[in-house]
Amino acid sequence: MTPLLSATDIVVQAAGQMLVHPATLVLHPGRPLTILGETGSGKSLLAQALIGTLPQGLTARGRVTIGDRVLDAADPASFRPLWGRTLGVLPQEPWLSLDPLMPARDQVAEGHALVRGLSRVQARTAAVRDLDGLGLGRAGGLRPDQLSGGMAQRAAFAAARAGGARIIIADEPTKGLDAHRRDEICALLLKGAADGGGLLTITHDLALARALGGDLMVVRQGRVVEQGPTAQVLAAPDSDYTRALIAADPASWPRQAPRPAQGAPVLRAEVLSAARGGRVLFRDLDLSVHLGEVLGITGPSGCGKSTLGDTLLGLAWAEAGRVQRAQGIAPVRFQKLYQDPPSAFPRAVTLGRALDDLVALHRLDGARIAPLLDRMRLSPGLLTRRPDAVSGGELQRLALLRVLLLDPVFLFADEPTSRLDLITQAQVTRLMIDIAHQAGMALLIVSHDAHLIARSCDRVIALDGPLAQAA
Amino acid sequence: MIWRALGYRAAQAGVVAFLVGVLTFLMMQALPGDMAFRIAAGRYGYDMVTADAAAAVRAELGLDRPAWAAFMVWLGDLGRLDLGVSVISGRPVWDEIRHQMGASLHLAGAALLLSALIGPPLGILAGLRAGGWLDRGLLVLSSGLRAVPQFLMGLILIVLVSIQLSWLPAAGHGRAEHIILPALTLALGLAAVSARMARDAMAGVAARPFYAFGRWKGLSEGQMLRRHGLRNIGVAMVTFLSLQFVMLVEGVVVVESIFGWPGIGHALVHAIFGRDVPMVQGTALLLGLGFVALNALTDLLTRLIDPREIRA
Repeated sequence: MTPLLSATDIVVQAAGQMLVHPATLVLHPGRPLTILGETGSGKSLLAQALIGTLPQGLTARGRVTIGDRVLDAADPASFRPLWGRTLGVLPQEPWLSLDPLMPARDQVAEGHALVRGLSRVQARTAAVRDLDGLGLGRAGGLRPDQLSGGMAQRAAFAAARAGGARIIIADEPTKGLDAHRRDEICALLLKGAADGGGLLTITHDLALARALGGDLMVVRQGRVVEQGPTAQVLAAPDSDYTRALIAADPASWPRQAPRPAQGAPVLRAEVLSAARGGRVLFRDLDLSVHLGEVLGITGPSGCGKSTLGDTLLGLAWAEAGRVQRAQGIAPVRFQKLYQDPPSAFPRAVTLGRALDDLVALHRLDGARIAPLLDRMRLSPGLLTRRPDAVSGGELQRLALLRVLLLDPVFLFADEPTSRLDLITQAQVTRLMIDIAHQAGMALLIVSHDAHLIARSCDRVIALDGPLAQAA
Repeated sequence: MIWRALGYRAAQAGVVAFLVGVLTFLMMQALPGDMAFRIAAGRYGYDMVTADAAAAVRAELGLDRPAWAAFMVWLGDLGRLDLGVSVISGRPVWDEIRHQMGASLHLAGAALLLSALIGPPLGILAGLRAGGWLDRGLLVLSSGLRAVPQFLMGLILIVLVSIQLSWLPAAGHGRAEHIILPALTLALGLAAVSARMARDAMAGVAARPFYAFGRWKGLSEGQMLRRHGLRNIGVAMVTFLSLQFVMLVEGVVVVESIFGWPGIGHALVHAIFGRDVPMVQGTALLLGLGFVALNALTDLLTRLIDPREIRA
């Protein structure tokens, strides 16, 4: 079986620094290859070197053989003629990757017409057939803003392949998606590989890698740690890193016995209802949150789980019903931890300064910062840096520290780890729960990851769209 | 909905007409000096004005009527689509305005067209290679052009093109070559700004993920620009060009004076001096309605380019 693509000794460098150490990979027809790694591991750079789209300032070396063509990775321009014709790229954000003003069908048809050279009528017919095959037969005339995320992804998939590309390279296709959407995309990608096409997926998502099967490469700090058939690598990993990665996957977290609510209720909601854009998210929801308990809310994207948290906190309006806080507690002790740590800190100010300002504003005890840093396993040196010079995991722990300075009785953590890597996610989640238990704080975690919620919370509310009931 | 937007513009036109009428009338009343004397001076020249001439004007035009009565007459005439008669030339205001407005629109239209041929194409090329030599050169050039006031630009062009090179007439109206210099004067200032606008819009669109995805689909740079680039900067460009057109019609006064162009700016200044109230009201009214019509046209065009509903 001749490989569709083989790359030998691919290296990526920036200013003399080695970002990807020599990596060799072979992509066979019909056999998916997945590169698994955390943010900053160099997995995306490796893929970009294979497409010829490295960001400015980075250079690649190595030999890439695609079909009967031998290309030099150092010459990215030589890859461009292959784009769309041999190499197809499935973009990360399908919604943003489609032209917002053009109907989906035309965006697929232009690949057939301009790249493959079909006539306009033939191209249109081919586009309609492509979309039909993906269950988008009726959606061809719609613009991206009229498509759901899943439909946009399928349209982008059809568009990426319209020019005749047999090799699909998918960069983080499931970032921020719930399990249902992830399975959809997985099926889509496998469909492309099923008829002898090539599929190279770059992901941090263990579940996706497992579902795709084929071969797996685990990358860490620019080096290939381990490679082999996916099933084998995941079942019996050779390296400590792969083992740690598998253990950090929420699906393999140990189950905990739920602790019955003991503390006094801090928050009580009655017959709560909310709607967005004319769609009812939840209706007549009754719930109370007690001190020291960890409550989880999960459900597919757009089901209203973050809205529920915001409503409980008073940040969003309820359509009906009411939320009552326990008497005699300062309003500032009801707090929220945000999804995206960098946007939760002032950009131009050092982290230490931001914390000092908070201490001054609320007349807190600044001496508490040092032990908390220790507790969070953060180096005090981080405080002299600005938010952009700190990793996402560190920044989220700092955000947690900042909230804890206010002695919250109720903390709403909105997708607190969805921007973090698996191992960091496990650490931060563990930390939050330990602190909630120790400090006797009520913790509300919202996540699209049902495993994470199931394995870390005492009580779970599953929202599934239009209507929801308290569990 | 498109009809709602147009209905809104129609209502706006009514409000504009009424407000413009009231405001110009009040402002003309508030100007110092005796109106009858000013009108007489406008008709017969300053040397010929006597108390008798002023009295005759006053009697003829009924200037001793209360102001509100005069305004009601104007409003009533407007209801019959009659803008009245110029108190100075005695010709119908409509004819005067049509002549002068036509000349101004001619000049403004030529200037806008010329600027649209210079500015946006250069800006788009610069935006596609943001940070390249064309981009940096254009920044210097457009900042420089922007810093030159219109009257100076007009004089520079007259000195260079008319006097030194003797290629084109310095001033005048009537033949095709008369419009080139005044239009170019206006166009250079406009193109300096629209080039920057187009550059920023294009650089923004080219940096968006769908542009990269289009390249990955196998489209060439030219295909990307034609199929995805131009339409996506379209709304910004159409809106900006219509805004420039408004500023242009307001701003032609200076250029019309330098090049002796018989336009509306010119005429409006003279009408104010001569207290020719019907002319001032008629001109302001047509300008106001023209802007409303232009906005309605812009609404239509942008909606054609970008049919997405704006969500609250």
